[in-house]
Amino acid sequence: MANKQNELTNGMFSNNPIFVQALGMCPTLATTTSATNGLGMGMATLAVLIMSNIVISLIRKLVPDKIRIPVYIIIIAGFVTMIDLLMHGFLYDLWKTLGLFIPLIVVNCLILGRAEAYASQNSVFKSILDALGMGLGFAGGLILLGSVREILGAGTWFGLPLWGDAFNVFIMILPPGAFITLGLLAAMFNWMGISREERKKKKEKAAKKAGESA
Amino acid sequence: MGSYLKIGLTLMAFAIVVALLLAGVYTITEEPIAQAELNVKLESIKTVLTDPVSGELLIEESDIPGSQEKLNEKIWKESEGEKLYESKKYNGYCASPAYEFTLKDGRTAYILNGASVGYGGYVTIMCSFISNGDSMEMMRLEVLDYSQETPGLGAKIAEEPVKERFFNIPESGLEKGLVVDKDSGKSPAKTKEEEKANKKEGIISVSDLMTGATITPRGVANAINTMTEYLEQTTGGDK
Repeated sequence: MANKQNELTNGMFSNNPIFVQALGMCPTLATTTSATNGLGMGMATLAVLIMSNIVISLIRKLVPDKIRIPVYIIIIAGFVTMIDLLMHGFLYDLWKTLGLFIPLIVVNCLILGRAEAYASQNSVFKSILDALGMGLGFAGGLILLGSVREILGAGTWFGLPLWGDAFNVFIMILPPGAFITLGLLAAMFNWMGISREERKKKKEKAAKKAGESA
Repeated sequence: MGSYLKIGLTLMAFAIVVALLLAGVYTITEEPIAQAELNVKLESIKTVLTDPVSGELLIEESDIPGSQEKLNEKIWKESEGEKLYESKKYNGYCASPAYEFTLKDGRTAYILNGASVGYGGYVTIMCSFISNGDSMEMMRLEVLDYSQETPGLGAKIAEEPVKERFFNIPESGLEKGLVVDKDSGKSPAKTKEEEKANKKEGIISVSDLMTGATITPRGVANAINTMTEYLEQTTGGDK
């Protein structure tokens, strides 16, 4: 059970696709101009990731090793196009907001990466867990990045005004803001990871000492 | 040799299956997509024909077309291609077709679609021009496509308070050619009256609402100028 939990939390924190693995940078930087956009892109990616992981895990024994990448790409691109068409027809308003990002999902190397590294070698159930963890980690990262940029750049959060125009730093909404925020957040995540490990080591040392003296 | 053939055939099989699925989804969604696009168009037409001050719909509710055929009956001008008219001066175009509606009070309204270049590409708008017999005013606009504008900056153009700054522009303003206040050399309008007076001079006051983003409203102003140019040419003296 502990193992399964690991599958889920792995992508969210210790192996976060954005801040630790630095995967899928193109949609990350381009679409996080606001928290809403981050949420939308995150959810769309999560949906495609789950579906592609399920299908690729199901067919993993049918695909010859030499052509696995083209087959995965066909499947992922097929899913993305279907979602695009279905949303355009039946969920027009949502499509209008996300429309620009949906084709971008195909080129997100996170999805191909999980197909190649995980779904092609594991059972369907485990692949779903992995997709959930990675997808939520990705979505969480996008929302965090989008929130920081929106709050500092436009003075709003999910469209709700927080303060007046006086404090707004426009550069946060423009491309340089994306790089600056991403860099600082990645540094923060790494610092958190390192300090946690150091604390662990200290604890172990203390435990050892306690054990020795006893 | 045999194994390569097998690999090739497997890849082909996957491609065929996915292509068939896609074809199926496309067939299912073709009609809903056309309907959804049409609904958006009809909704925009209804909006631009609603008086922004009184909130009253200026044509009979039953006059709003419900289908593509009905909408086609309202076509005023159309061209073979996608563009009705192109303006070099304003870097914009009017899209085909343009529509004509007769208002409840007998006046004529022309609805034009057009675009000009904003920050990241074309900003597409729909405008209603109302002919008062001897003069023509632009009543209302809808911003249809601004997907290339920066969110939080230029994309504010689709917010209601910003759009309102473009409503009810009298003929004197249209004739001079619209400019945004930052380009006019005038200081930002402080009162509603000042903003209204500016419109008569063709000056659109947006700098207080769209700080840091002048290029997008400039694109919208140029799109309106393109439409004015087209209307001047086609309707000529008899407005």
